[in-house]
Amino acid sequence: MSVKTALAEIPRTIWTSIFRHSLPSSELGQAQTSFTNFFLHVHPVKVNRHTLKATYTLGLGLISFFLFLILTVTGVLLMFYYVPSTTQAYDRMLDLRGSVAFGTFLRNMHRWGAHGMVIAVFLHMCRVFLTGSYKRPREFNWVIGVFLLLLTLFGSFTGYLLPWDQLAFWAITVGTAIAGYAPVVGEKMRFLLLGDNTVGQEALLRFYVLHVVVIPLAITLLVAIHFWRIRKDGGLSRPAEADMAPGTEALSVQVMAAPIELKPAEGKQSFGLMGLVRGPFTKVGNTPENTVFSWPNLLMAELFVFILTVAAILVISLLFHAPLEEPVNAMHPPNPAKAPWYFLGLQELVSYSAFWGGVGIPGIEVAILMLVPYLDRKPGGVGRWFAKERLLANTLFVSFTLLNVILIIIGTLFRGPNWEFVSPW
Amino acid sequence: MRLALAIASLVVLLVHGIVFYDQFFHKWERYQNAYFDQARTQARNDEERADLASRSPRIEQIMVTQFGETRVDRCTTCHIASDDPRFAGLGHPLKTHPYSAALGDTQVNGKWERRHKFNDFGCTVCHEGQGRGLTDHYAHGEDHYWPDPLLGYITQEPWRKDFVKHLKGKDYMQAACAQCHTEEKFAGTPIVARGRQLFFENNCYGCHRIEGISDGTLGPELTEAGKKFKVDYLWESIADPRANLASSFMPKFKLNDDDVKALVIFLKSRHGINLTETQLAQFRSRLHPAAVVESTPSPTSTDLVSRGKQLIQDRACGACHKIGEKDGAIAPDLSFEGLMKDDQWVLDHFKNPRSRMPDSIMPGFRFVETDFQAMTAYLISLKTPPATATPAETYKALCQRCHGEKGDGLGPVATYIDPAPRDLTKAAFMNSKPRERFVESIKQGVHGTSMPSWTKVLNDTQVDGLLTYVETTFTKDKRRALKPRNVPAQNPVTASKESIARGEEIFLARCTGCHGRKADGKGPNSLDIVPRPRNLRNSPFVSSIADQRLIESILYGVQGTAMPPWIDYGLSQKEAGDLVHFIRSLTQASARPQLRAGR
Repeated sequence: MSVKTALAEIPRTIWTSIFRHSLPSSELGQAQTSFTNFFLHVHPVKVNRHTLKATYTLGLGLISFFLFLILTVTGVLLMFYYVPSTTQAYDRMLDLRGSVAFGTFLRNMHRWGAHGMVIAVFLHMCRVFLTGSYKRPREFNWVIGVFLLLLTLFGSFTGYLLPWDQLAFWAITVGTAIAGYAPVVGEKMRFLLLGDNTVGQEALLRFYVLHVVVIPLAITLLVAIHFWRIRKDGGLSRPAEADMAPGTEALSVQVMAAPIELKPAEGKQSFGLMGLVRGPFTKVGNTPENTVFSWPNLLMAELFVFILTVAAILVISLLFHAPLEEPVNAMHPPNPAKAPWYFLGLQELVSYSAFWGGVGIPGIEVAILMLVPYLDRKPGGVGRWFAKERLLANTLFVSFTLLNVILIIIGTLFRGPNWEFVSPW
Repeated sequence: MRLALAIASLVVLLVHGIVFYDQFFHKWERYQNAYFDQARTQARNDEERADLASRSPRIEQIMVTQFGETRVDRCTTCHIASDDPRFAGLGHPLKTHPYSAALGDTQVNGKWERRHKFNDFGCTVCHEGQGRGLTDHYAHGEDHYWPDPLLGYITQEPWRKDFVKHLKGKDYMQAACAQCHTEEKFAGTPIVARGRQLFFENNCYGCHRIEGISDGTLGPELTEAGKKFKVDYLWESIADPRANLASSFMPKFKLNDDDVKALVIFLKSRHGINLTETQLAQFRSRLHPAAVVESTPSPTSTDLVSRGKQLIQDRACGACHKIGEKDGAIAPDLSFEGLMKDDQWVLDHFKNPRSRMPDSIMPGFRFVETDFQAMTAYLISLKTPPATATPAETYKALCQRCHGEKGDGLGPVATYIDPAPRDLTKAAFMNSKPRERFVESIKQGVHGTSMPSWTKVLNDTQVDGLLTYVETTFTKDKRRALKPRNVPAQNPVTASKESIARGEEIFLARCTGCHGRKADGKGPNSLDIVPRPRNLRNSPFVSSIADQRLIESILYGVQGTAMPPWIDYGLSQKEAGDLVHFIRSLTQASARPQLRAGR
């Protein structure tokens, strides 16, 4: 081959070395595209029609993930301007608002994105519970999800301090005080978190490191496992009948539970690599199909959720500015000093009993959340909203979440100076 | 779905458009371009024109590192002509900052030369505002979270409407001048000097500490008042002390608007540090604070009384008290103190007012012992009561200041007196006590309260006449025969630790709602009760009351007050006796028990 042809073909060869396939025109192409692309191979080649039903998932998991991406991008850009120092942080905020290009907008996006992610992750958890999706074999993925919820809250909480204004300072003072109510270890924990007895330079630095390194890394890792487990557990949860091709009879799907016996590798292997994959989605058996290709169906759905999320955050960031209150004045607490809004339910409880509100009840709630899939083991009602079989579980869950939401609303809107009841109207 | 996707994408594009527009078309660029255009037309030579042509809009900033914390002032980004004398006639923001001899600017060969060069001082050190901001809303400090809006120019949205009109004007900038020009008689800051004078004239120094100036401990420290508080808060705290904190006992002084303004400007100038001092100088001044109170009369004056008189005058006791003609309308009348108190009482009270009057708001001044002695000597020398012919005149001259014109206990100073003066119109109370009790209260006074002993002022006939006047004018209701009450003359229980413990048990169960867990009269219900529940830790009061009267008040209640007859709730004489032992144990220095609940 002449050098001339090689030179002439450089653009094409580079392109094809990166993208091995042209835009898919056949089913084979669609399969290969998903399979050979690093980013797309997170997806299965084919995906169940039920998974694509917008009314089933409401796209909440994806929204949470995309918000995390938006937070990462805006967060990294903000990091270029931020200094975690008590003498400089607030000035940097003023610079962001005053003279940094797009500074206000970046901060707005980051702020509202963070609040949005707390809400989205919480609603995602509600969706998963109310559709019974945590049941076998997805128990462990639920537990990872609970950890992700806690990490999201903690990430938002650590970020709250960084502007170093009155709102930040007192919210963290109150929030960490709640942590200090734990018996025996409470005070030590608080000291470890703050690096001091009060919120100060050490606390700012610790929160900064947690916020920009530790928590994002942990979330990334857990999200990866979360996604991987979805694949390994056979895609999103769905009712048994969703696996039937339209018009076919209900077939026994026992094949799903039957383990594939692996013979020791001797002689010729008669199955492809895919055949080794254990679990319910193996295509070895003649499982009836009700699937469509991920390319373009799943991708379009994801793009749709992505664009909607971005558009929502952009519009909100355009309309509302992230708050920036007075510079920190440790001698002048606002009355009432309130924790970040998602902890106001706890603060409301703390106003009745420090231990039970700060440690007891939230501890029990988290423990129950983690144990839910191991306590509720009846297989019925998976893949449908508010399944009749799950009336008790759903009722309990809804009452508990409603209770927490009501406490948060009371703490946010109905509490005035000295934590006395006030009417917001 | 595709339509929705298209709409959403359009929204994303649109928002980007708006954000980019905002980012690249700033108001300040327009100001700067206008400035360049104007300057070009006025340019006199090619050099100037070339210089202007090479300039393009950019953020201008002045970094000031010499005064306090580093300041970044970007004000000149909009106010770009502030140092260009040709723009004196234009409107803001393209206007030359005025030159003024009062600011120290000088004219050399017809050209003004600034004393405070902007490159050295920046802008916010004098004007305040937010130097980093680039929009007028933030830069001028209109955002109500910003602690220092432009002094005298910007008032923030939540400020009280009735104060806002007082809070504008150039005068306020004197507070900024005085951050560096701390000399008391500095020509440029007459209002600050006036404020400082008022600070002493009104005895503010008695309660408030300002480092290097005063040493009071009763009120909040004001060393950094100018840094911590906005002018509206300072104004409110002086003009309406209880507006912000209902339980504040700061008196409302007799001040006109100009006085309040001078005080606000004086306080606004207190930043804790003098910006012109080096850190070493600041450290030194802290090691050797300035004299606490000036104008101490010469020690050669051996006449204690005249020296005391001078001291009382210099130290502004009249800001609260009435002494002769001067009446601060806050604290008791001292015009004939010598007839009502002895010198030991006055001296003790000077040293620690709450040792004699447990709920007094009088600050404990940290004067030297000889000053106290001189002041005491002077007060004790005041022995001339006002001459009064009729009981009505007597009431007006002696009683009205506390008990009020209508006898309702709401005299002009009543707000500041705790326990409050008795409401003489309350027949239920007035008629439930024997007349002798009132005669005794007038003649002997009521210990631990502001009711003094009038026995050296009024003779028996006058006391009797006065009481009759009160009964007929205020109480009005005819006195009826008192029902006999079964009250033991002595405490039926012998004092013992067990009795005190039983008393505490009963107290915690029945009394804390009003009298409070500390028995200081500040229970949760106390705020709604008039007259306020007794402070049972008021040692002079409690020890002056006999067991019999305490037991009677507990068992049969105090009519005309919220104290109920506990005998109706099944309290026995013995239990009342236990309670009395407990109450007395609170004020006896020895064996004072720690209240379990109060811990």
